[in-house]
Amino acid sequence: MSDNATFRRRGRWLTGGSVLLLCAWVLGPIYLLFLNSFSSPSAVTGFPKHWLPSFNLDSLQFFIEFQGVASALWNSIQVATLTMVLSIVLGAPAGYALSRFEFRGKSLFRIMVLMTRAFPLPLLALPLAVMYIRVGLDDTPLGLALVHTTLALPFAVLITFSLFSGIPVELEEAAWTMGCTRAQAFRKVVLPLVMPGITASAIFAFVISWNEVFAASVLTVQHRTLTAFLLTSLDVSPLPLKFAGGFVLVLPALIFIFLVRKYLFAMWGIANR
Amino acid sequence: MKTTFRGLCTALGAVLVLAGAQAKADVLFWSTQAKPVEETQAMRSEVLKGFDGKVNYQANDPGPWLTRVQAEMKAGKGSIQVLGGLHGDFTSLSDGLMDLSKIDLGGVKVNPSFMKLGKLGSKEQKYIPWMQATYIMVANKKALPYLPTGADINALTYDQLIAWAKNLDEKTGSPKFGLPAGPKGLLHRFLQGYLYPSYTGSMVTKFRSPEAVTAWQKLKDLWKYTNPASTGYAFMQEPLLSGAVWVAFDHTARLADALNKRPNDFVAFPAPAGPAGRGFMPVIAGLAIPKTAPDKAAAEKLIKYMLQPSTQIATLRATSFFPVIDVNLPNDMPPSVKASGAAIAKMSGAKDALPALLPMGLGDLGGKFNQVYIDTFQRIILGGQPIKRVLDDEAGTLRALMKKADAPCWAPDAPSKGACPVN
Repeated sequence: MSDNATFRRRGRWLTGGSVLLLCAWVLGPIYLLFLNSFSSPSAVTGFPKHWLPSFNLDSLQFFIEFQGVASALWNSIQVATLTMVLSIVLGAPAGYALSRFEFRGKSLFRIMVLMTRAFPLPLLALPLAVMYIRVGLDDTPLGLALVHTTLALPFAVLITFSLFSGIPVELEEAAWTMGCTRAQAFRKVVLPLVMPGITASAIFAFVISWNEVFAASVLTVQHRTLTAFLLTSLDVSPLPLKFAGGFVLVLPALIFIFLVRKYLFAMWGIANR
Repeated sequence: MKTTFRGLCTALGAVLVLAGAQAKADVLFWSTQAKPVEETQAMRSEVLKGFDGKVNYQANDPGPWLTRVQAEMKAGKGSIQVLGGLHGDFTSLSDGLMDLSKIDLGGVKVNPSFMKLGKLGSKEQKYIPWMQATYIMVANKKALPYLPTGADINALTYDQLIAWAKNLDEKTGSPKFGLPAGPKGLLHRFLQGYLYPSYTGSMVTKFRSPEAVTAWQKLKDLWKYTNPASTGYAFMQEPLLSGAVWVAFDHTARLADALNKRPNDFVAFPAPAGPAGRGFMPVIAGLAIPKTAPDKAAAEKLIKYMLQPSTQIATLRATSFFPVIDVNLPNDMPPSVKASGAAIAKMSGAKDALPALLPMGLGDLGGKFNQVYIDTFQRIILGGQPIKRVLDDEAGTLRALMKKADAPCWAPDAPSKGACPVN
């Protein structure tokens, strides 16, 4: 009896410890980013460090006034949104087909989907840019979103594939027997169940597009994305600006994930209303 | 939950509809220079402000920069008007660049030896020199009392530098000398343009000579008193500001922040000299127009503007790169410009000055060329392998590289017929 209690207590400690560690793993760097973005440049390079920022807005102010940040942010949002929509619109049906239908070359298809990630972008960028310039897709959000969709698609297909596979086909069949068409059954039964997973792959697509630099810096010139616009420059900028720029880059993605978090949580059965 | 979902969908739709809108194109200035955000900002708001017309200044990593230019050249049409880059950035683009020999620069006198470099070995003027810089040394004033006796900071030798670093290490308790040996650092320029010429009077030909063995032995001695965090440093201004390093070598633009933020705490001085002279490496950036530029008249106008004395001075303020034309500098320049300008003048004007040019004619093998020096450094200094054996080994790689590029020697090596030999 008492053995059992100690065991349970230890288990709780272990769970608590792991949760704490995982939180620190994620929040630690974000906190440092926050701390240093809101500190004066001398505090960033200085020593000893403080736990609270000095709420000096010089570094962040610089970015707000940095010419082109606003339009680059807007371009990034456009490209990431387009990527998200395209990869779900194309990826989810493919995932559904993979899980529900038998067809020739199915396993080959599953491997081929992954192949799009096998070629390094710097290798593809040159011919792609040449083609885009000729076709007129060059320097447009849609053009870049197409490239990012290619990058995000394998994940979208494979995530939705395992999602649909996890939903018993009997549920759908039950709906059919009750008079639903295939499309209705999908919309009324399957879709609500897979929503969290779709959100997860949407977030994935969003983040992949948000973080991608090389294609963005070759395929956009007048309409750069925020990452292409800032990242290469931040690399070689003074430390306080690196932190502030990192903060500027991370913040929109964090806000987005925060907005869609309920759909994500529902995946693990945590109701959040 | 439903309303948030609907809200999200509406926002999504709005983004997609608005995505169609496009802005009007400006003169696109596609550059590898002034990349740090503060410099980009200064280029846009200070340097290009006076130009008659709107300029879109974009600073890039050399990789995307080159890929984009190549793509436009291959597609036969493009949006880039003016290219800005280092001498080495242009070498592989030569055929796609417009001949600028007839460009009207409004009577400014550009340094003739730089103009000659701008031909890239052809008969046409492929680029117009834009600005120049070099590598110098900076020390925290706290380090000055530890200078070895009899040493003049403006005429140091490598032996004195080693003695200084040793003094600092032993008397302050930790190594205070620093080199930019990180992945993004420019250590290879120190090896190619400073250490090698100073000891061997050569960068390529005498790569494995007995003098080179001495040079590496000296660097090994120096490394004993070098802050081991150097293998992570990219811009020496940062460890200088944080106090981790008191004496450092780097590119003027990568030291400027320290000299500007705390001008009273730091001194700039020439690089040290070895038995063969005071090796140093001038860096030249240029401006070019790709044959695919949509509006060549506007591009030429922008280049002319960039070379006017007032623009050149504004560029110096913005980027810490010095003018390439004859111009008198005003007195109110930032501290970094005054300090490094004086150090450069002392270095290039020294009796034993030995300028070593950036690698030339290597095209896209430039990266591999640098890698030979970095590899040699890592094997000898970090790996502790025998100097002679490593040099013999890497000399083979270097020789093959020079043959493949078919690049003739550049200063300080004597001109060669055909590929520069590695003896």
